[in-house]
Amino acid sequence: MIAHDKQLLDDLALLEEANSLQNAGFISKEQKELIKKQLPDFKDHKNILVRSGFFVLGSFLYGSICGAISIVGMVGDELYFKICCYIFAGIGFAGAEFLANQKYYGHGLDDAFILGAILNIGFAIGITTDGYELIIAVFMAITAFVMYRRYLHLPSLLVFCMASSAVLFYGLFEFGEIGKTILPFAAMISAAGFYFSTKKSIHSLKKSYYYKGLLLVNSFCLILFYLSCNYLVVRELSVMLLGNEILPGEDISFAYLFYAFTLIVPIVYLVQALKTKDRIMLWISFLAIGFSIYTIRFYHSVLPIEVALTLGGVVLFAIAYFSIKKLKEKESGLTFKPDRINNSNVLLNAEALIVASTFGMKPEVKTESPMEFGGGGYSGGGSEGSF
Amino acid sequence: MNKFDDQATQSLLDKNLITENQYQEISAYRNLNIFSLNVELKFFLYLSVLLFTSGIGILIYENIDTIGHIAILSILLIVIAVCFYYCFKNSKGFKKTETTFESPILEYLVLAANILTCIFIGYLQFQYKPFGNNYDLATLIPTMVSFFCAYYFDNKSVLTIAITGLAAYIGLSVTPQDLLHNDFYSNPNLSYSAIILGGLLILYTIYSSRINLKTHFNLIYLTFALHLISIASISNMVDDYSHDGIWMLFGLVLAASSYYFYKVSHETKAMSLYVFMMIYAYIGLNIFFFRILDLVDFSGIWELFVFMLPVYFICSTVLFIKLIKNFHKEITE
Repeated sequence: MIAHDKQLLDDLALLEEANSLQNAGFISKEQKELIKKQLPDFKDHKNILVRSGFFVLGSFLYGSICGAISIVGMVGDELYFKICCYIFAGIGFAGAEFLANQKYYGHGLDDAFILGAILNIGFAIGITTDGYELIIAVFMAITAFVMYRRYLHLPSLLVFCMASSAVLFYGLFEFGEIGKTILPFAAMISAAGFYFSTKKSIHSLKKSYYYKGLLLVNSFCLILFYLSCNYLVVRELSVMLLGNEILPGEDISFAYLFYAFTLIVPIVYLVQALKTKDRIMLWISFLAIGFSIYTIRFYHSVLPIEVALTLGGVVLFAIAYFSIKKLKEKESGLTFKPDRINNSNVLLNAEALIVASTFGMKPEVKTESPMEFGGGGYSGGGSEGSF
Repeated sequence: MNKFDDQATQSLLDKNLITENQYQEISAYRNLNIFSLNVELKFFLYLSVLLFTSGIGILIYENIDTIGHIAILSILLIVIAVCFYYCFKNSKGFKKTETTFESPILEYLVLAANILTCIFIGYLQFQYKPFGNNYDLATLIPTMVSFFCAYYFDNKSVLTIAITGLAAYIGLSVTPQDLLHNDFYSNPNLSYSAIILGGLLILYTIYSSRINLKTHFNLIYLTFALHLISIASISNMVDDYSHDGIWMLFGLVLAASSYYFYKVSHETKAMSLYVFMMIYAYIGLNIFFFRILDLVDFSGIWELFVFMLPVYFICSTVLFIKLIKNFHKEITE
């Protein structure tokens, strides 16, 4: 099923390993270069800027091919309009296949053709079925999955995940009221089901090149599960989809259940992540905790914002302080020492930028109110929304 | 942990690409089963400082009339004093090179103390006007405190606050979200000050690398300088229709600064400087062409331009990719 050379895929894993070993300081730069020379490689770009540059070029190329065909095709106007997107999608498939044969993988050009083909299938089905969402989602999901299986293209797998969630949603809408009511539970159950099944298949996986894909689906399920049981999401969606007006004093059905989930799920994630040493899950749990706090504050203003911020700051500081104290001396397992192999300092490098944007001083000449002047703290007040 | 990493290391060994010793070392390290919370906990500290200082800022803003002024000021002063006491006690003193605290917590205490000092001085000025109506001075003093803290405790976040303060002193807003909102059009003097400030920051980086004073700060100074000069020049190149020829002058400034940043980004191996330099230079170049064509005014050829546009676009993308690729190669070598 995979269009790419399996040997090259295996070698790619080795090259990535060599890269991270060099970053960790286990092997020298010369040795890494030597390894790079020894192993044949795809035409790919690790640098995201170069890859997106090629993506733009690829989209342009794709667009011009489609445009050229359209100039000829315009002759059969009505009919051509109906089938043009199928033709464009066909060009996308052909282009992706051609590029895969030329050993392009994660290059940017191939991304343009693969994603373009999926998008055009969506358009084509949309035109044929007059915008029937369920059918569009079904076909896009199938195409995206085929694209992933054939080219191991991770962005398509993400499209697949979203399209399949859309299939679930639109599918349940078909059942009318009942479908809409059981929607959150159906989403939760399927997310949990897929989570455990992908987890199991990661465990028994033999081929390393499927690992990233399975991990992606796995993380997607975690997020979907949390969102489908979050009180804010459920309530707003039920207002939007069912047209339920929620009067003051009333609440959605099973409100307590959703409140409980909103509070418990992030904590379960956090504990589980620390137990299994799963970094992705850890970050999802952080985001989930943040969103849960937002959810609670959205409906119940427990404390005035300034007190909440100040207290939150103190509590967070205490948590961080005591955790650092506790983990500082540990050499193995859970620790505060930076990991040699997986260190991600991107976030810390962005700190200065965030400080500048929240606490930077502004000239006071422009503002008439003396409150605004000079003090970084006052302009910091403007940042409340983002935290 | 990912079991495939182990497998990959094993097959690197099987292919004789790494030595037996290296393999032993790597698997010994992997067997420690390290799960580092370094970044996460530091981020928490950082977030807590931001939350706390924002909270205090709003608290004072909202309750400025209800709580006693003296009470607020003294509480603030106590918190600041405690923070600074710990920082000074544990710091290794001023060093010309990059220094770090033994405990990462102090780095964030410095930040908190510094932001609170800014709030304190701002509040003091608002309530008691110790500097009279001299608001410049009220901006300058927190700036100086920030510069001192930045250099003494070697703190980059504090340095950015200091630089924004310096720019605010001459009337510029250089926080990332406001950089584009400076009113260069109605106030031409502002653009001159922006360019001069940018130039001075560049000169300062040259000077500080000559005397080896905190050379790792240079990137921050250069980033501010690049954005200040480029945005000021570009907005003047677009706008200035009233005085002929001035826009050319700004074009020259932009060209000179782009050339300088081209060189400097290679020296410092800074991708961020390089990419932004390229974007600004590209925008400037397009404005230049557009204005030249506007001057010449040959209306008949416009159709040709419409056809040339895709070609031009493709060529620019190719050029962009090429330049980035070369730069990437150069800095990794």
